[in-house]
Order: sequence, then C-alpha cells, then structure tokens
Amino acid sequence: MNKRKRRPKSSDKVPEQEWLMRAQKQSRTNLIDGKESVGSDDDWAKSRQLIRPDDQLDLTENDLSEEIKKVLSTENPNVPKNLVIYSFKEGSFVEMPPPPNIVTLFQFDGTSLHLDSDEAKKQIEEMGDDYQPPVDSEPEDAVNEIAPPPKPEGGDDDGEGAEDAEADEDEPAAAAAVETPAAAKTGGKKRLKLINQFNYCERAAITYNNPSRNVDTQTIPPPRSSFASNVKQWVIYDSYALDFEQNQKDKEKDKKHVVSKKDSKKKADSAQASHELNKKYLQCWQILERMINQNIFDDIAQDYRYYEDPSDEFREEEGTLLPLWKFSYEKTKKMHITDMCFNTLYYDLFAVCYGSLDFLRQQAEGGVCLFTIKNPSFPDYRITTESGVMCCDIHPKYPYLLVIGMYDGNVAVYNLQTNPSQPLYVSKGVNCKHSDVIWEMKWGPDMPDGEINFYSVSADGRVFNWVLMQNKLSVTTIITLYLDKEHIGNPDGTDIQLKACGTCMIFHPKQPEIFLVGTEEGLIYNDPLFIFDLGASVGDVKWAPYSSTVLAAVTTEGKVYVFDINVNKYKAICVQQVVPRKSVKLTCIAFNQKLPFIIVGDDKGMTTSLKLSPNLRLKVKPPKKQQNVDQDVLQLQKLEKLLSLVRELPDDEELEKEAATTVAS
Amino acid sequence: MADDGSAKENEGDKKIVHTYPLVKHSDMIEEMKTDCIELSITACEKFAANYEMAAKTIKDAMDKKFGTFWHVIVGEGFGFEVSYETKNLLYLFFGGNLAVVIWKCS
Repeated sequence: MNKRKRRPKSSDKVPEQEWLMRAQKQSRTNLIDGKESVGSDDDWAKSRQLIRPDDQLDLTENDLSEEIKKVLSTENPNVPKNLVIYSFKEGSFVEMPPPPNIVTLFQFDGTSLHLDSDEAKKQIEEMGDDYQPPVDSEPEDAVNEIAPPPKPEGGDDDGEGAEDAEADEDEPAAAAAVETPAAAKTGGKKRLKLINQFNYCERAAITYNNPSRNVDTQTIPPPRSSFASNVKQWVIYDSYALDFEQNQKDKEKDKKHVVSKKDSKKKADSAQASHELNKKYLQCWQILERMINQNIFDDIAQDYRYYEDPSDEFREEEGTLLPLWKFSYEKTKKMHITDMCFNTLYYDLFAVCYGSLDFLRQQAEGGVCLFTIKNPSFPDYRITTESGVMCCDIHPKYPYLLVIGMYDGNVAVYNLQTNPSQPLYVSKGVNCKHSDVIWEMKWGPDMPDGEINFYSVSADGRVFNWVLMQNKLSVTTIITLYLDKEHIGNPDGTDIQLKACGTCMIFHPKQPEIFLVGTEEGLIYNDPLFIFDLGASVGDVKWAPYSSTVLAAVTTEGKVYVFDINVNKYKAICVQQVVPRKSVKLTCIAFNQKLPFIIVGDDKGMTTSLKLSPNLRLKVKPPKKQQNVDQDVLQLQKLEKLLSLVRELPDDEELEKEAATTVAS
Repeated sequence: MADDGSAKENEGDKKIVHTYPLVKHSDMIEEMKTDCIELSITACEKFAANYEMAAKTIKDAMDKKFGTFWHVIVGEGFGFEVSYETKNLLYLFFGGNLAVVIWKCS
C-alpha cells in the first residue's frame, strides 16, 4: 500500500489511478458486507463467500480503519538524475540537463496548427485579408483525450458516502491540475484549423501535351493558257464581214432544209438507220438473254424434252402433269389472266391477256404479253392497254397479227413484226365498237378479195365482222342475238327486245361461213351428255387438239382436271394441284397445238406450263384392217361411237355441231 | 432589179450596221459566256464614250459574279498577249469598232 501511495503519477495516468483506488475500497466494503450477513441469511450468504488470495495481509480492524494519505506529484522517480555526456569541446564529461518528467504514451501528429502558435500567426499574415476564421469551434483532439472519464455508478457503494466524498475530492483536484494547461491553450476562443506546411500534401496531376505538328499541302495551280492578238479596225471589220457572210450562208441552208425534201429524207434515213441499228442490238441482246435462260433452265428444258413419266406404264388410264416453266411479268402481276392463245406458226410462242375478272373492280389498264418457252424470264412482246384485255386471237395465216378485245368493247389489232407498242388498227367512236365486254375474237378466213378480217362476239348481244382496210377498220354487224322472250315495256312506252349475251363462238372447221355462238342464256345442247362435278367453280375448259375425247378444266381451287371420256366417263384421268389452293385461282387453260404441254393462267398474272404425261395423250390405234386411216377420221369415229352410247342417234345438224366443237378446238 | 437593190443595200449596210456582238474567240463555258457578253454589252452601251469606265464596270461585275482577278481591255486598237486561267477568256467585237478582251488570272 505504501508503495502504491508513493508511486509517481503522470498527468495522463490520473484517471487510472483513481480507478484502482476505488476498486480497492469497494473490495473492502464487500468484505465487511460478507461478514455481517453470515448470521442473518445462510442460504444466499454461501454463494457470496468471497475468495481471497493466499498472500493477502490479515489486517486488524484498526489497520483497516487507518487513514492513508496519498500524495501525487509530477516527478517521475525513474528518471535518471545525473546523466552525463562526454564533451569533445571541453575534453571531459559534462552533466546533461535532466530529462523532462514526461512519459509519452501516445503520439499523433495532427494536421492542424494552434491558432496562437507562431507558425499559425505567420500563415495568417501571409494569407492577409483572405483569411476567414472557420466557424467550427470543436475542441482539439488533445483536449478530448484529456477530458475526465465518466463517473462510475454510485449504486454499488450504498452507505459509503464518506469514502466516496473523499474520492470525489481527489478527482477534481487531479482533473483541475491537468485541465489548466489545456484551458490556457484554448483560451475560450474559436480556433482555426490551419495547414501544417510540413505535413501537408496538395494533389495535382500533369498530363502530356499533344505535340504540335505542321501539315501543308500544295495544290496544282489551275491550268493556264495564253492568248495573243492584235486589235485593229480592219481586223474588226473583216471579222464582222466574214461572220455575216457565214450567217447568210447558214440561213440559206436552213431555207433549203425546210424546202427540199431531200434533206428531210436524209434525216429520216439517218433516224431509220439508227432505229435499224437499235433493232439489231436488241436482237443480239434477245439472243443473249435466251442463251442465258436456256442455261439457267436447262434442267426444265431437258425434262420437257425427254422426261416421260415412267409410272404411266404401270398405271392404266391415269396420267400426271409435270410442271415446267412459270411465266410472269412484273407489271402485270396484279392482273388476272383472262385468255391465252398459242401462236399457230411459232408454236413455242403464246399470248397471255391480262385484265380483271372482277367486274366490279376493273383496273385502269390491261395488257398482253407474248411469252416464248425459250425465254421464261421475260415476255418477248409487251402491249399495254387502257382497259382490261378480255380475249385475243393470233391470225393462223399471218402469225404476226394479233387482235385483242377489251373490257370496254374496243378492239385493237397489233402487228408484232413492226411495232408491238402501238396498235395497227384500233376501233374508234361510239358506234364502231361493242357496248359491252368482248368475250371472244376469232380471225376469219380471208375475204374473196384478200382482205383480212376477224369476228368478235360481245356481251351486248352482237357479233361484228371487222375488216382491215388500207387505213381503217371497217365494221359490219353480222347478227344481233335477240331473245325469243316477249318484249319488255320501257317506262317511256317503247318496247325493248332483250338481247342475249354472247360469250363464245367457233367456226366450222371445213365450212368457214358457218359458226356457232354461245350465249349466257343457254346451252347449245338441250340435254347435257356428260356432267362432271369438280367441287369448285370452273375457270376454263378446253378440248385437246390431239384427241376428240380429251378435255381439260381448271378450277378456282388451283386444280387441273384432265378427262378422257373414252377412257373414263365418270372420273378425271388426272387431277393435280398446280398452284397454292388458298391464295391462287386458276382462270384459264390452253393446249399447245403440237407439243404435249398445256399452259394454265391464274389470277395472280402467273402462267404455268405443264407437260402432259404419255397416258394423257394417247392416240387412237387404228384397227388392223384399216391401217392407213387418217387420225382425224379415227377420232371422229371414236367420238361418234361414244355419243351413240349416251343417247339416241342425234340428228345431222347436232352431230355437225358436235364435230365442230371437238375437232376445231 | 429588186434583188439588186436589196443587195446594194446590204453592201451599204455592211460598213455601218454590224453592231451585234461577235465573239472572236472564247473558251468559256456556255453559261458564263452568255452572261459575260450580256454585261459587256450593257457596259459598252452605257459608257459609249468612256472606255475606261466601261472596262471598269465590266471588271467589277465579273469580279462579283465569277470571283476575283478579272482583267478587261476595251479599246479600238491594241495588241495583247495574256496568260489566263483556262476556260476564262472572252475576245469580243462589239459595235463595229470596239474590241473587248476579258480574262481571268489570279
């Protein structure tokens, strides 16, 4: 205890010391408590039996109650008092000044300066007017550290007020001793945080500057020329005279130009020459295009030429269609195909008419394209018209003459040899045309005096004969188809005789002056011979040119049906879907006259060519007895035989009609 | 007779009447040429007695229209040899006795 009493204390240690003392006092009080409580409460007193260390002094009551005085001093007893150092100057040991009584427990270099320090004053001076004392008045860290710790709780030491008071007396004394220098430092003023110039770092970065560079180019100077001349009055005069003369000559030439036909002819000749040249170029290009196309579509061409469906040998009575080329033209893609017609001489060439079969929504234009199977990618000839084209025909004798009939009732004749873009003849005026859709056109046989003519049948109930005169189209009405029904009274009192709508016509193959006209109102035959139900509306029906009993039909469902009545009277011998069922409707069909293929047109302006398999184009085998009989006669016999099965022998007139429709088609 | 008379008249005319602008030599593009002729005529007609003024007017107009450094000579008799930027020369007779040379050289 004595030792402890004398132990020197640094100012920093003060609180610790106090703590120790308190703890001792407390342990003493606890002891007393224990002794006193033994008798009164056995049960819990046992648990409070305190363990004392073995070497604890046994103190009497007097000892314990003795007052012990503690004196705190600022001296450090461990500081050596007589340090010496050898001085080389004096050649002897000299006493060093005694070291300070300070023990450094913790050191922290702050970045702040004391406001009153010399350094701070200097800085403030340097900063001059700019300096503004910070508002922040937080005490420095050092002060915080020195601040007295919170008082221990007073709850434990009940009834020990005397000792507590004693301890409390000590505490402020010690605290006061420590605080006084700090209080002196703060001086109660607002202090500033100042920069410690030895422990301060300013951050900055320096970047590279881009090196500067000189770039220059030199352009080529604009080209120069030089010119020299002399101006004299006579030079000017001469120039004028020469120019005037020249002008005069030119004028005369111009006059000649206008007057003389020779000059104009020359011009025309040159124009024609260039035209001819262009034509030649065009021909070259066309040949080139065909070559390229034949190269591209070589496999189709090979199929067309050599592929015969081998399965036909094993299937009796049935055949197939092999799709070949497809023909379409960009500008007519949205139009319906209304008619198709093969050229009679150039049998690879065919005309396709474009119009609209939707009569409520007619397009503003129509067209005709002539395709050849040698060039499927682009039409050979293109004709555009102001109205939808409904039908066409190519002259059998003059294969370059094409006649078309239009939706508005007009007809036009084109000469493909000279100018396919402009019609050779065109119907003009209200009286010189049909007043309704033209449904069919047919070239007639030449007039006795060699004039070319054609017939047209229209929905207005009239059949016209058109003759191609020198420079105009003359028209005569052949027949007006009146209905047998009684007249209908007009509101104004006059009678109107109803007319039948002609839809088709056909010539007698051998007697050209006879022809048949079909109308909307009825059938040619009173009793249908065969009825086929195809389950969809039929776009077109055609007889095959090679057989009297074969016919083909297309439906709006995109199917092609081929019938051979001689083979099967009830079922088609070929049914094939050739275009997508939902989107495309087939509108017409045409047989090639010589080659075994057909073309079908749809309402998307697309023409598809299909090859007929061998079973679909069977020819009649001549009986053994009559080996040399003509095929035509055989075909006729075949049909007659067939018809006789269906009905009683028809009268002559009807038979003739029948023959006409079959053989001629 | 009538023809003879008119021919004589023509001959008589020749000496006096040829006042239309006659381009003796030019390598300008057509558009520039027409513009150039047009404004030389106006200038020459405006300053018929003062060739200096006429030349100045033409030069100013050309400078404004086709970029700077045009040079103009207007006169009745002179000789010249010039270097010019190609496609920028016009050598023009006007009014029967006047020659105008316009060229550009920067």
